[in-house]
Amino acid sequence: MTSGKGGVGKTTSSAAFATGLALRGYKTAVIDFDVGLRNLDLIMGCERRVVYDFVNVINGEANLRQALIKDKRTDNLYILPASQTRDKEALTQEGVGKVLEDLKADSFDFIICDSPAGIERGAAMAMYYADDAVIVTNPEVSSVRDSDRILGLLQSRTEKAEQGGSIREHLLITRYNPERVESGDMLGLEDVLDILAVPLIGVIPESGGVLQASNSGNPVILDTESTAGRAYDDFVRRFLGETVPHRFLEVEKKGIFKRLFGA
Amino acid sequence: MSSQAFELKGEMSLLSVLLLSATDMSEIQATLDEKRENAHQLLDRSPVIVDCQKVSEQAAGLDFVQLRKMVAETGLIPVGIRNLPEALENTASESGWALLRQGHSRVRATTLPEKTEVADVANADAVDSGGDNGGGADPVQRLRVVQRPVRSGQQIYCPDGDIVVMQQTSAGSELLAGGSVHVYGALRGRVLAGVQGDKTARIFCQNLEAELLSIAGRYRLLDDIEDDLKGQAVMVYLEGEKLKIAPI
Repeated sequence: MTSGKGGVGKTTSSAAFATGLALRGYKTAVIDFDVGLRNLDLIMGCERRVVYDFVNVINGEANLRQALIKDKRTDNLYILPASQTRDKEALTQEGVGKVLEDLKADSFDFIICDSPAGIERGAAMAMYYADDAVIVTNPEVSSVRDSDRILGLLQSRTEKAEQGGSIREHLLITRYNPERVESGDMLGLEDVLDILAVPLIGVIPESGGVLQASNSGNPVILDTESTAGRAYDDFVRRFLGETVPHRFLEVEKKGIFKRLFGA
Repeated sequence: MSSQAFELKGEMSLLSVLLLSATDMSEIQATLDEKRENAHQLLDRSPVIVDCQKVSEQAAGLDFVQLRKMVAETGLIPVGIRNLPEALENTASESGWALLRQGHSRVRATTLPEKTEVADVANADAVDSGGDNGGGADPVQRLRVVQRPVRSGQQIYCPDGDIVVMQQTSAGSELLAGGSVHVYGALRGRVLAGVQGDKTARIFCQNLEAELLSIAGRYRLLDDIEDDLKGQAVMVYLEGEKLKIAPI
């Protein structure tokens, strides 16, 4: 999960994605690559259970089983938190490769690497061993530009690219607000797709449910009432190969009841 | 603050490099004379960097004051010198030379990792690894075909040939070709054709939204382009000194 720009919803999306895969029975690990600015554990609501972290495992100070936190709500889901006291230089290519190999050997089906913002070491390490990349973009010009830059790096700075291949790219648009698109404040879906030319895997509508979920440490995908939760679920299904139509793209027509009493 | 007379900005520019392979002053003079005979128009008033990479061992034999004078008399503008042994940096500096850190390898470093799919892999490798030893036996790449979109931050460089992009290019990308450039998609980045001075080079694209268009050093920015040409399929070419854009 990568984006270039910060604050677009990578960690929220990583948490939702990992939870959605685990809910379908896949053994899933989600790794926080944002060493020094650890957030994933908060979003996943396991911050009080962090003993060892990703950097401890890389440095051989703890083994993987000690550091992996088993999610309390969802079976098959494990979190590998980042270190808050170190910096991204602590991530070595060999170290990261070893952790990923060990997870695969431990029969994990999916490993979600939650990239930090930027294009420096943390982001480089999160993308290097990837098979698939989900590019998280907000419908505004700077986020789209940064995603474009990341797409360029994905073509060259991954193990697959170095071996002459390429990784699969998926575009996930978050914080999509049809009202603001209609009023011209936000880029429309077509504009974003035109600039980035990457297959679309999901559009997550802007929703109060996301902030609420983050603050309470519950991945938003578990909130089946919220539009964002349902859109994340669609995204996971598409990733697994199902054909699911996109929804929440149009301005919701307010019924007479809502108009009279407010929404 | 806005009343300042100028802004100091860091910028990458294209410069010619004079790569020395001898330190004998009369030999250098002879070669300069010869170049002036053959290509005086091309050399006229162009800024140049002197590179001592190949002669750094014998660089002590160079007369820096004399060298500066000779280069200037040929009609070139000596901008700076690079790849000197540290011991000589002071001497060169006192003779009026600007000392430049080696930049060539960095230019290529940004080109190299973005190795996009290319029609002829053998040729692509030759171009990507060549260039540092100047005029070796490497086959020259005449065409570079790029199959994927050229993204922001990527640079495609084909110093001696044409570039063909089968998809779009993004704002913040750069295409540099010694020859012409063809883009079969939206052209949104910067594009510089004829970077070695070829005035017959042209640029073709399906959808003109380029940030900058340049042929043989004459350039236009998107803001200078007539609105009715934006978004159109166009051909860009030089007519005399003027950069022309025509719909196709």
